[in-house]
Amino acid sequence: MHGPVTEVLQFIDLNAYSVLFLFLVGFIGGLVSGFIGSGGAFVLTPGMMSLGVPGTVAVASNMCHKFPKALVGAIKRFKYGQVDIKLGLIMGVFAEIGVQIGIMVQRSILEKFGQAGSNLYVSFIFVVVLVTVGSFVMRDAIKMKKSTGPVKVGTALARRLQQIELWPMITFKTANLRISMWFLVPVALATGMLAATIAVGGFIGVPGLMYIIGATSIVASATELVIAFVMGLGGTLIWAYYGSVDIRLVMIILAGSLFGVQLGAIGTTYVKDYMIKYVMAVIMLIVAVSRFFAIPKYLNELHVTSLSETSVSLMTRISFGVMCFALLTGATIILVNLFKARSLERAVLARG
Amino acid sequence: MQTDNLPESIQRKTPFILVVTRNGHMSEPVMDYAVNVAERMHCSILAAHINTLPFYRDGGRRSNLFTTAMQESAAMFEAKAAAKGVGVEHASDSGKIGKAVKRLCHPGGRRIEFVVVDQGIKLDEVTAQSPVPVFTVNSPKYKAGLQRKTSHSHFFQKGVHRMSTATRKRHVQNTFIFGGLTAALYAAVFTSQEAVMTYFTKGGIYAALPVALVFAVSYFHGNFTSSFWSALGIESSKTTATRTAEIRVEKPVTAPARKDTRPRAEVNA
Repeated sequence: MHGPVTEVLQFIDLNAYSVLFLFLVGFIGGLVSGFIGSGGAFVLTPGMMSLGVPGTVAVASNMCHKFPKALVGAIKRFKYGQVDIKLGLIMGVFAEIGVQIGIMVQRSILEKFGQAGSNLYVSFIFVVVLVTVGSFVMRDAIKMKKSTGPVKVGTALARRLQQIELWPMITFKTANLRISMWFLVPVALATGMLAATIAVGGFIGVPGLMYIIGATSIVASATELVIAFVMGLGGTLIWAYYGSVDIRLVMIILAGSLFGVQLGAIGTTYVKDYMIKYVMAVIMLIVAVSRFFAIPKYLNELHVTSLSETSVSLMTRISFGVMCFALLTGATIILVNLFKARSLERAVLARG
Repeated sequence: MQTDNLPESIQRKTPFILVVTRNGHMSEPVMDYAVNVAERMHCSILAAHINTLPFYRDGGRRSNLFTTAMQESAAMFEAKAAAKGVGVEHASDSGKIGKAVKRLCHPGGRRIEFVVVDQGIKLDEVTAQSPVPVFTVNSPKYKAGLQRKTSHSHFFQKGVHRMSTATRKRHVQNTFIFGGLTAALYAAVFTSQEAVMTYFTKGGIYAALPVALVFAVSYFHGNFTSSFWSALGIESSKTTATRTAEIRVEKPVTAPARKDTRPRAEVNA
């Protein structure tokens, strides 16, 4: 993916429709990112491509908009005391290594099975990761919502891992935990590999931080922003080196997404802990559904099935539609909860 | 210091306890302690508010807030002292804490028995210059820290300016300043699209251009969006803003020690 770009890049002309579309998708994606630490990026790449942007430019521009957004979100949430910078930076560096491994894996699959095989592999990873992790997070969120007593901090697994004294042990003050580096590295590598494959590392990074490392969902989602910043900056430097970043697209998306990311970060101070898990799980599960609709296209290309051209293009469009729906659902839940909690707090303050 | 040569009237005057703060609002434990001791020792109190940043470059905003806070604080101190029949005088000064204390302890003026300093003042600064003993008040109930400065705002009616409160007006100002800068940046890029696209996609060392530009965007536009929502009144939750999710509490092995909540002095003469 990060290979040299040999073909002459085509940069599109912008019109009012595409500007508005990018701004809105940016805003909604930013809102979700500010809240759950990542997300939004998976809609932007296909979204830009549907506007006629070549794939490479779409991926590069998406990457380039991701890290400033993550930076702004991380700073905002740092002010609320939710970010563990040390954890984020260490994870970020290893995640960047994970990205490079992910690219190598992708490349070898591309050589062996061709473009369609590679696409199928991406969809397969999409569905498997999102369904398993998403349903696990969802189950946990529902359990947390129902439980009335004091919430147990960290999973049994995280507590067990934290007790294993394996050099080098690292203490994280904000996340309030002490764990061996050997358990951080696999989570970070997996985050990076997923980011290289489906463009959203956070779908492994945040649950990994919560269930394996043992951070709370607020700290996990905030720290993921630091990881995304490190990964995004590294990726952008490589893409920009090959000149594939369309800065105009990046700036339009950023114009929207920075509004969103601020609002998403503000939202985290109002909601209960399980809400972040809930929103994340909802988005992951709906996106997983969207990928089911993308699979027939690749199966057709591999000559496993022979569906008609029109039904395949319809499926592709449905797939994109469902992805947008996932993002919109997440954004709606965040906004509704934010404004509900806000008016409630105001009422309490006015009374007392 | 030739105190012997001073007129008798000055020497016989009631002694004072000097209470010094550099915060707009003096903290309550310090006031309580001073009033208690003054009552016991038949002293009066000289409450001094020292503005240590008189030339802070914000168009006098800090100084104005400081004065308002000082008036609130003075009113509260007087109420506390009047309840115990202790006299309070107020002084305001600006400059370095040590020098201000030295000026206030000047032998020509009131007779200062000792100095009590509020939170936020470094003891060394005062002890280096003070001719009389200096005490700090150590209160377990109120840990030193910025958040405690305005702890007695409930004492006064709502809507009074507080030192740590950024006003809505300021957010609106920032919205326009950063909004303008952001608009200028976007206008500059989009009016010269062709040149920008030629250079920014050259690759190689030119990769620094798009990265630098998005950093600039994230600064200007990030500040703009932040103050935009604040100006609209959409800010973080007041009740949970300082909460960093659930905080792990380790169970103590021994029984917890009983807390002594009385304010008490530490000698540092």
